[in-house]
Amino acid sequence: MQLTINGTPHDIEIEPDTPLLWVLRDEIGLTGTKYGCGIAQCGACTVHVDGEARRSCQVQIGDLEGAEVTTIEGFGSPDKLSLVQQAWVDHQVAQCGYCQSGQVMQATALLELNDSPTDEDIDRVMSGNLCRCGTYPRIRAAIHDAAAKIKGA
Amino acid sequence: MKRIIFAVGLFALPAFAESNVTLEPLPEGSVSAAEGAQMWENIHEVFTHPRCINCHVGEDNIPLWSGPHYGGEARPHGMFISAGDSRIGAEYLACSTCHGPENSAQLHGAPGAEVWLLPPVEMAWHGKTSAEICAQIQDPERNGDKTLLEVAEHVAGDPLVLWGWEPGPGREPAPYSAAELADFVLKWTAAGAPCPS
Repeated sequence: MQLTINGTPHDIEIEPDTPLLWVLRDEIGLTGTKYGCGIAQCGACTVHVDGEARRSCQVQIGDLEGAEVTTIEGFGSPDKLSLVQQAWVDHQVAQCGYCQSGQVMQATALLELNDSPTDEDIDRVMSGNLCRCGTYPRIRAAIHDAAAKIKGA
Repeated sequence: MKRIIFAVGLFALPAFAESNVTLEPLPEGSVSAAEGAQMWENIHEVFTHPRCINCHVGEDNIPLWSGPHYGGEARPHGMFISAGDSRIGAEYLACSTCHGPENSAQLHGAPGAEVWLLPPVEMAWHGKTSAEICAQIQDPERNGDKTLLEVAEHVAGDPLVLWGWEPGPGREPAPYSAAELADFVLKWTAAGAPCPS
C-alpha cells in the first residue's frame, strides 16, 4: 500500500481493513490525530485525504492506494503556524485540547471551500466535531478571524 | 463562497453509480389488477421503510435517523447535518467525511456504500401518501427520467439501493430483497401500474 502522508511517500504493509487512524498513530508515529469514539461520532480523528476532510477512524487503509493524506503535523509548525492554527492561539480556543487537532483540520477544510463562512455555515460544518469543554464560541470566533486573515493574505 | 461551486463539482465526481442489471418486462396485462394493487402495497412497504425513506427527504435536505436505538419516531441526522441543495453535503460537510465505501463494523458506526448521498429532492417521499408516491415513481420528472422498467433495473442493482438490505450492524434491513422488489415493480407495471385512490 503506497500513499503519501504530509508529503512523504510511505509503503505500508498491513491488513487492508486497518483504519487509517491506527496507521497514522501506531505505524507512522503521528500522534497528533486523536482517537475519540471510533465510529465517526466525534470528529477527533479528522484528517485530510486528497484535500477532503475525513474521519480517519472510518477510512480503511486498503482504500487509500495513491492517496495524499495530511494530518495536523502537516499544517504549519511551532515556528510557523498556519493561519488557522494562529487564530486558534490568538483566541486561546483550546481548553483540554484533546479534540483540537480534529477541530483545526475540519476548520481548515471548511475555509478551503468557503472563505466567508456565516455562523450557520460554521455550525453546520463544525457540529460533527465535539468538544467536551464547550469551546464552541471560541472555535467560531477563531474561524471568522482566520477567514479574514486568509482573505487579507 | 464561489469556491463552493467548485466544491460541488469536486464532490459530485464519485456520486454517479448506476445499476448494471438488465431486466425483461412482463407482457402487458399478464398480471391482474388485484395482484397489481398488492404489488404496489409491497413496493410502498419497501419505499417507506427507514432504510429508504430516511434519505428520500424533502427540501430541508436533512437526512433522518430511526431504529430501535433511536426511539419510535425518526429524528434528524445528528451533528446538525444538512446535505445542502447538492444533496451530498458539498455546501457544508460532505457526506463522504464520515460515509466511506463500506459499512462500519461497529454499532452506531457510519454506514457506507459505493456512493452516499440523498436522492434528488424531486424524489422526496417523506411525508407523502401512498397515492402520492405511486404517482411520483412513474413520473419521469420525479423519478430520475426513468421508465418503470428502468425503475425496476435501478432498484435491482444501484449500489446505494442495495445498501438497504445490507445496512450494517444494528440497522433493520429493508423488507423482501432487491430482486423481489424489482419483481414487484415488473408485475405492478404489467398490471397497468395501479395506484391507490
